[in-house]
Amino acid sequence: MIEIVDLWKSFGDNHVLKGISLAIPKGQTYVVLGGSGSGKTVLMKHVIGLFKPDRGRVFVGGTEISSLEGKALTEARQLFGMVFQGAALFDSMTVFENVAFPLTEKRWRERPRASEIRERVVEKLKVVDLGEEVLGRYPAELSGGMRKRVALARALVSDPQVVLYDEPTTGLDPITTDYVDSMILNAKRKLGITSMVISHDIASAFKVADRLAVLYDGHLAAEGTPEEVRRSTDPFVQRFLALWFAKQ
Amino acid sequence: MDRVRAAFEDFGRMILFAVEAAAWALRPPFRLDLVIAQMAFIGVGSAFIVGATGLAAGMVFSLQMNYALKQFAADGYVGGSVAFSLARELSPVFTALMVTGRAGSAISTELGTMRVTEQIDAMESMAVNPIQYLVVPRILAAILMFPVLTMVFNVIGYGGGFVMGVYVAQIPIGPFLEHTREFMEPSDILHGLFKAVVFGFIVSVITTWRGYAATGGSRGVGEGTTRGVVMSSIAVLAADYVITFIAVGT
Repeated sequence: MIEIVDLWKSFGDNHVLKGISLAIPKGQTYVVLGGSGSGKTVLMKHVIGLFKPDRGRVFVGGTEISSLEGKALTEARQLFGMVFQGAALFDSMTVFENVAFPLTEKRWRERPRASEIRERVVEKLKVVDLGEEVLGRYPAELSGGMRKRVALARALVSDPQVVLYDEPTTGLDPITTDYVDSMILNAKRKLGITSMVISHDIASAFKVADRLAVLYDGHLAAEGTPEEVRRSTDPFVQRFLALWFAKQ
Repeated sequence: MDRVRAAFEDFGRMILFAVEAAAWALRPPFRLDLVIAQMAFIGVGSAFIVGATGLAAGMVFSLQMNYALKQFAADGYVGGSVAFSLARELSPVFTALMVTGRAGSAISTELGTMRVTEQIDAMESMAVNPIQYLVVPRILAAILMFPVLTMVFNVIGYGGGFVMGVYVAQIPIGPFLEHTREFMEPSDILHGLFKAVVFGFIVSVITTWRGYAATGGSRGVGEGTTRGVVMSSIAVLAADYVITFIAVGT
């Protein structure tokens, strides 16, 4: 479903990605682990075309998204839903307006009727265990966990084929973290969605991943199933995972 | 040298941003509701401060002109000179500066906050072009509302000048109004309104750009807002000189 081939990206003298290649099969959850500032978010933003690579190619569903511009890129983005690190809900809009946004902003020929939009918003909020009582609230009136759930409902509302999660559990308490992990697993199981998760939360990563990669110094230091990554002999990967496994 | 180069690069990117906004303004969907909401924010929301500034400017200018002209026994010309100055200079420039302080700073802050909290990226990821959704309505609203606010300034400013001239400085009402008619041409009003359109474009492009290009968290948003207001104010004064020079020469 997603294929990244020899991806390079620099910002000035800061070489963030140095020849990343990976493939995510349809319906799988792929987690990219890495420390803060390792370039995980930059990698994800290439997948949805928010950044252009200096070198390399990004394919989504067979289309080379890294070469698209303008209208073609806008249309290709309809394949995606994205959950941002800080939820990135629109402050000036209510929960209903936020979740409905991808539908209300479709071209008028493709736009569902108002009653259908409401039905779909309520349905997706139900998927993330939120009721109709939150529809009229503003993001500032929600807790961090609720904001993440609303962001996930917004990412799912247009029935995307791919959902990208940027640090979905950062800043959440253990119970809400567990809840968000279940949401990611449910989205895969119930809706057959392909997911790419960017995280430095090792526990969550091992829980939701079908495949894992560890990003370090612009390279993938390890890549494979969670078990394969766990057995990696790469010194950084061993150091990165050691603290968490020592606690288990 | 690097700072000069960076400033030119930033200016170049702002020009490209304005061109991109102009291109998106011509493409559907046309979001009239967003333009109207911005017209209410920029126009209706700024009417009080513009009116208050107009009233103060008109009153003070009338008293100053009366003080100067009565030395030549020409105080009957106060009305004309107040109206003329307001229409061609004071109204468009003061309006632009006041709206920059009130609405321009809010625009930079709002877009800057949206940028650093990834709301603009989120919009883009949902296949909605943020320049078309966020920037175009603000530029169109400013271009439409700056002339309206300038007319508000003109009317209230002249009203203030009239009250001061006729009731405080005791200038006879006949010469006050007669010399206003004598001095003023419709082209004087149009000259000021043309300036207002240009200022609306300049202020909205600069303030939206400074918000849209903000980086580095809340500090970056603050810096972007300050730069937006300062750059807009300087650009308005520079554009005023250029337009006036082209229109009236030396």
